Amino acid sequence: MVVEVNVEGLEEYKKIIQEHKGKVIFAQFSGSTDSEGKNWCPDCVAADPVIKKCLSSAPADAVFIHCGVGDRTFWKDQSNGFRTDPDLKLKSVPTLMVVGKPQRLQEEQCANEELVKMMFTDED
Amino acid sequence: MPPITQNGSPKAQVEDYISKNKVMMFSKTTCPFCKKIKDLFKNLNVEFQVLELDQISNGADLQNALLEVSGQKTVPNIYINSKHLGGCDDTLKAQAENRLLPMINDDGENYDYDLIIIGGGSGGLAASKEAASLGRKVAVFDFVQPSPTGTTWGLGGTCVNVGCIPKKLMHQAALLGHGLEDARHFGWEIPENVKHSWDKMKNAIQDHIGSLNWGYRVQLREKKVDYHNAYAQFVDKHTIKAVNKKGKEITKTARHFILAMGERPRYPDIPGAKEFGITSDDLFSLPYCPGKTLMVGASYVSLECGGFLKAIGMDVTVMVRSILLRGFDQQMADKIGDYMGLHGIDFVRPCVPTKIEKLQDRLDGKPGLYKVYGKYNDGTEYSDEFNTVIFAIGRDPCTQNIGLDKVGVQMSKNGFVISNDADQTNVSNIYAIGDILEGKPELTPVAIHSGRLLARRLYENGTLLTDYINVCTTVFTPLEYGCCGYSEEDAIQKFGEDKIEVYHSNFWPLEWTVAKRENDACYAKLICLIPEKEKVIGFHVVGPNAGEITQGFGTAIKLGATKTDFDNTIGIHPTCAEVTMIAVQNSERPSYKTLARL
Repeated sequence: MVVEVNVEGLEEYKKIIQEHKGKVIFAQFSGSTDSEGKNWCPDCVAADPVIKKCLSSAPADAVFIHCGVGDRTFWKDQSNGFRTDPDLKLKSVPTLMVVGKPQRLQEEQCANEELVKMMFTDED
Repeated sequence: MPPITQNGSPKAQVEDYISKNKVMMFSKTTCPFCKKIKDLFKNLNVEFQVLELDQISNGADLQNALLEVSGQKTVPNIYINSKHLGGCDDTLKAQAENRLLPMINDDGENYDYDLIIIGGGSGGLAASKEAASLGRKVAVFDFVQPSPTGTTWGLGGTCVNVGCIPKKLMHQAALLGHGLEDARHFGWEIPENVKHSWDKMKNAIQDHIGSLNWGYRVQLREKKVDYHNAYAQFVDKHTIKAVNKKGKEITKTARHFILAMGERPRYPDIPGAKEFGITSDDLFSLPYCPGKTLMVGASYVSLECGGFLKAIGMDVTVMVRSILLRGFDQQMADKIGDYMGLHGIDFVRPCVPTKIEKLQDRLDGKPGLYKVYGKYNDGTEYSDEFNTVIFAIGRDPCTQNIGLDKVGVQMSKNGFVISNDADQTNVSNIYAIGDILEGKPELTPVAIHSGRLLARRLYENGTLLTDYINVCTTVFTPLEYGCCGYSEEDAIQKFGEDKIEVYHSNFWPLEWTVAKRENDACYAKLICLIPEKEKVIGFHVVGPNAGEITQGFGTAIKLGATKTDFDNTIGIHPTCAEVTMIAVQNSERPSYKTLARL
């Protein structure tokens, strides 16, 4: 089974990928859900069930990290760490990626089952 | 003439002809309109059946029967797939509106795909996306056979993986090195001992390529093109079988096919070539710094690779059999060679390799050591030791072993596919684009352009043909070269020396003055056709950013610009494009040689 981890913020994200170094790590960056359980990012909400469904096709020893990037105000700030970190350089949420590899899906692509599946089953 | 029974009523006979022949033409030998349509079908490589009504005894009866069946008494009377098309005008109109071939190719069969493309390079991908966006069901089959040393790569073909993209990026690494040297003249204080890391450059470039490979696969999915990473071979003209990495075989059918397999580097037939040599297929992902390198060949691939390897610190030798850059303007080729020689690249010429021996194995992170033997034209022996030997002596089309013989696609003796102006092969449902075409430019943008236009002609009533004339190109040697149109040699051969005027001059880029670089390296030349108001038929420049300079002039030349038009164009100051302009504006024969005023 794929190990699933939920983290909030850049610091926790960096820590968790360090912990799983050497494994295949998939990371999904989404808007953070507020205390009432509401998410400001509709594309992220749309992507969640698709990604969850496709996770079963990922390699069994892979790690899946779901990372909240904060509230809308924080994300829209162009100088936030997710946007400026040289390894991430995120442009949009949701972003689904293979950590350390060039494979990325952004926005509505993350809700496209075929594309998500292609990422999880990619052999290259 | 088909073996058709003379029994039955004239009407039954006519209907028999119509039903048994895909393209049926009732004709008379004396009819000029009939001849016109016969010629059209021949030009389109369409198989058709003709019944000459004036050559058979019951022709008049059949003609009356035709009137009854089709409502048309005149000839030619044409049926396609048992449907009445009409006479000469109807057929020509169908062709003009690009309906004719689709009618012929619509055989009512239920194929897996409308279009299968073999080869996922620049041309194949462009054609597949265009056809898919026009609503067609499309599949791309792409499979990279590993190089002799085991290098493979992802989707995108030569350009993206082992050609233009990594080449230009490594050339950029080289330019930055030159820039560092210049920088000292401009006040930057840089330590004498500046190092370059092959691994860092190679990994960064490979990462970028990886993101392109992924991007192409995402695009294909989004456009609903099926991508098969499998090696396809023709079974018949509508069927291929394909085998993937794991040996799994599938069979698929399609109405149309586009061949877009591209080329791979050629190895010389000498001992040790494939065991110890590598090619551009391996260089850009080489897991070790190549060290002292021998480039074999004088192709643009050889000179470009030799150029950037030297600039990032390798000891580089180029072994040349005869001339540099065959097919390009030879004066420009020599300018490039001279510059490379001045910048420390050793040319061994005229010489060919005869044998390679291994002295030391390649180890983790380290190149091997090889002894290369060669022979000069005069018989003198050559030998030297190198860490890396790279063959760049030419490229061969990947047209063997894919079953083209089974479907009878016509090829030249070198294996290039012969096509008509509409990129169609002699097999009417099989088309070809890109580097595998006989006598067409082997350039990524050409393949992309023809792939798109071909898809539009097939599926969108497009009529535009690819214009293969006046295509600009560039060579990323240390001294860059850009050109459009005829070389001086070709212009003289085609039009005669007395019909040609050449305007030319050296120029000295402003940036090179403070940097104290050569003032006689950069050069521009305009070849004009005297009888046509000195229309510019050839443009050549060596200098910084030569490709960037050439692109825009390409439009002018396509539009038929003359020397006067060039003279009346005002430059942008102070740019290399401007001094290129000035160089050709103010020069005259013979050999007016000066430094451009700055």
